[in-house]
Amino acid sequence: MKRLLTVLALGLLFNAGGQAAGFEARERLPAPELRASDLKGASKTLADYRGKVVVLNFWASWCPPCLREMPSLERLRLKMAGRPLEIVAVDSAETLEEVSAYLSRMKLGFPVLLDADGSNTRRWKVFALPTTFLLDAEGRIRYVLTGPTEWDEGEALRVIESLLAELPQQGKP
Amino acid sequence: MRDIGLRMHFFRFLLLSLWAAAFGAQAGLPDYQSFPASGDRLVLWVASERGRAEPELRAAQRLAEQGTEVWSLDLVNAYFLPQLPSSMDELPPQDLADWLRAAQAGGKRVVVYAVARAAVPVLRAVALLDPAQRNRLCVMLMYPNLYTAAEPLAEPDYLDVGKLSGLRVRVLQPRRSAATPWLPGQLDRLALHGAEVSSVILENLREGYWARETPTEFEVAESQRMDAMLLRELNTWGCK
Repeated sequence: MKRLLTVLALGLLFNAGGQAAGFEARERLPAPELRASDLKGASKTLADYRGKVVVLNFWASWCPPCLREMPSLERLRLKMAGRPLEIVAVDSAETLEEVSAYLSRMKLGFPVLLDADGSNTRRWKVFALPTTFLLDAEGRIRYVLTGPTEWDEGEALRVIESLLAELPQQGKP
Repeated sequence: MRDIGLRMHFFRFLLLSLWAAAFGAQAGLPDYQSFPASGDRLVLWVASERGRAEPELRAAQRLAEQGTEVWSLDLVNAYFLPQLPSSMDELPPQDLADWLRAAQAGGKRVVVYAVARAAVPVLRAVALLDPAQRNRLCVMLMYPNLYTAAEPLAEPDYLDVGKLSGLRVRVLQPRRSAATPWLPGQLDRLALHGAEVSSVILENLREGYWARETPTEFEVAESQRMDAMLLRELNTWGCK
């Protein structure tokens, strides 16, 4: 009996661990429009990243879970250098000054876009921060994650690698 | 053996007492904390699903010192419920409606101030009032959450809160919230139920700023002057 309970407890533990990040798979969903500007004011759309797997992260500088996962997004960028992956952080409904204040403390090597009026947040139906969309190289939504994770390891890395693996040749390390 | 028998009796008595207490607490008017004052305004302060925080009680006390009477209600505590948004959806609106009627019966100008998901039971209770009672009431909602579901990439679904015609509602929305871009949708929803809606954005603040684990200096300062913020909003709004 004791052994059975131990097995059950371990099963629950591993099961919970495996689903901890909580990525939701989507059936190659067409992505809503993205119309944002970078920190220098240049307009950006999803077309700018076509041909690459995209990690599109909605965040805000006042949101503690968002800031907690930022270092792992930066580590992911470094780990994936030279591979067809683009990390794009869309700041939700804040001013350039607010975002810049955070970025002066936390150096990020991936593009940060501004959604100052929240229109992209509404178009993508983001109700909680952080929310992250994983897009394949054709710009279709394949996974959604609500809440933070460690992006350079575990399930997050496996999911990203699976999308990169769909790209012939280029996706390989 | 006798000792075990006595203990069993004691535990049975304890369980019965807890059951009786829980039942008693659910019958009739919910248990609230009163901060009396001689002024002609009464604020019914309904705490969020996370329960009542110390700064809220201090603000209630300060409001009373300035002449505004406050009845402070912590619903999850009053009904022995878990601190979850869904707890708010299960509350009997009739109890709260009776509470609102009891408040209005005192003859003061009654303003309900509900935080987060507490908006749901409050609005459902208001919907049970007679139109004349509803017209005399003002409701301030601090970052209300009226969704049944809000999932990425999907249109939000809203709870049915009932008829709110003639009710004046003012929404207070902290700027630093994922809900801020969605404020127009929530206001439209309230208007669809018949409420006369207005809103104000509270700059540089996050939801529940008075009970944050790592508050900013500004949030700490604002927590200490929540009474002034509420009075300012009440006076600006001019709900009479």
